[in-house]
Amino acid sequence: MLDIRHLSHNYGSHWALKDCSFTLEKGGFLFLSGPSGAGKTTLLRLLHGALPLQRGQAQVAGFDLARLRSRDLPALRRHVSVVFQDFRILPARTAFANIALPLEVRGLDARASGRRVRAVARALGLEHRLDTPAGELSGGEQQRVAVARAIVVNPQVLLADEPTGNLDPDLSLRLMDVFMQFNAYGTTVVLATHNPELIRRNPAARLIHLDDGMITHANWPGARLSCRADACDLLEGP
Amino acid sequence: MRTVLRLIARGVGDMALHPLAHTLGLAAVTLAVFLGGVFLMALTTVDAEFRVSRGETVWQVYWRPGTPLEQVRPQWDEVRRMPWLTRAETWTPDDALAALAKRLGGADALPSGGVNPLPPTALLVFSPREVDAGRWARETQSFLKNLPGVERVTSTPLKDEFGRMWRGVSAFVVWPSVAFLTLVLALVSASSVRLTLEHRRDEIEILKLVGARNWYIRLPLLVGGAMLGLVGGGAALALLHLVYRFVGPFFAVPPLLMELHFPPPEQAVLLVAVPVLMGLTGGWMAVRDRN
Repeated sequence: MLDIRHLSHNYGSHWALKDCSFTLEKGGFLFLSGPSGAGKTTLLRLLHGALPLQRGQAQVAGFDLARLRSRDLPALRRHVSVVFQDFRILPARTAFANIALPLEVRGLDARASGRRVRAVARALGLEHRLDTPAGELSGGEQQRVAVARAIVVNPQVLLADEPTGNLDPDLSLRLMDVFMQFNAYGTTVVLATHNPELIRRNPAARLIHLDDGMITHANWPGARLSCRADACDLLEGP
Repeated sequence: MRTVLRLIARGVGDMALHPLAHTLGLAAVTLAVFLGGVFLMALTTVDAEFRVSRGETVWQVYWRPGTPLEQVRPQWDEVRRMPWLTRAETWTPDDALAALAKRLGGADALPSGGVNPLPPTALLVFSPREVDAGRWARETQSFLKNLPGVERVTSTPLKDEFGRMWRGVSAFVVWPSVAFLTLVLALVSASSVRLTLEHRRDEIEILKLVGARNWYIRLPLLVGGAMLGLVGGGAALALLHLVYRFVGPFFAVPPLLMELHFPPPEQAVLLVAVPVLMGLTGGWMAVRDRN
């Protein structure tokens, strides 16, 4: 499902990601941990095509990101959903409209779309807030709307960048259970977090620790630690 | 098709989602188009004023000698009601004879008795303000010549060098001015529409994140942009018409004595079409290819 080889990415002279390689099978659950600025967000942005690939190769849900043209991005994003720490929801639209957005984009009829939205909203405890404009929801509710929007389409891959960053510990663990539940149905999940509680909640999950753009620790043989020599070569310039 | 209709409806409905941004954008487009319209109205009025003939022309009408005055007098009354007439002098045969005798040194200068050989005559001075002075002259000539009993009509040519000069150069002044105004209007409208759509940048980004194709994102924005241009242009045109209706009469009194001219249909259409086109362009440009 994910096959990442020697992925590097720079912003000007700063290398945010250096020689990262790993594979993750379909239905896998991967935690990306590491301090702020370690490269977690850059890796996630690369995986859903928000950043163009500079070095290395990446296969995501059957898409070769190195060969991906801009007109193919919508197709990739119909298989890969993303949840951001800052929600990225439409505050003027209702929670229902926000969650239904990806279904609407896919041309699903209103009745089927409504059924799926309500089912997901129920799972996330949002069913009584569906008619409220998203901008009037609490931070936790907005985050759950963002998660609901990501999972309502049953994506092949779910990428989540610090999805519990704005939630209280109890709600964070509940949300983690939702991710695990969807993962159990076959969705591949990549979750970036520096919350150890979440990682402990799913001990069977894969874990990659990033530091200064390099993979410095992985708990399974499918990940290759960044080669320090290769990473150092990058510093000489692209 | 249902999706397209839904997206078009959304484009219209979305205007209510950001009322302040849309109101400000609408105000900017309306004001820009209105100012453009005022400029066009001024240009059209000035052009029309310059195009009309301003010279003076003198006509002399001679009836056949012996034409009964009962027949001629009603015609003189009719002639005095002709448009652009500034002065009219009429002579009966007796008046003419007296005037002639006076000029020759008194009543004794002419032989007395016999039939007065002079015809009834009229001297008419016109200051026409017509765009097509030649046509007016032909029509006036024809009208006077066809009065019953009229034998001969003579006239001096219209002296109107300035009008002739303006008619020669107006094509090189009016249309370049309209083209320049269109460009300014286009830039201001495009800028206003783009600023309004800037509020929807987050929405565009989110739609891209959930896998929407470019046309899906663009269609409501195109509709919204076009609506903004249409409503703004239409409102400006309505405002301009109000100015034309209520301010126009103030120009028609001395010392201006000008007739305010509403921009011709093709320019009025331009005033709405330009913001609509720029609204469409703004909507198109709001969605970039990559991200």
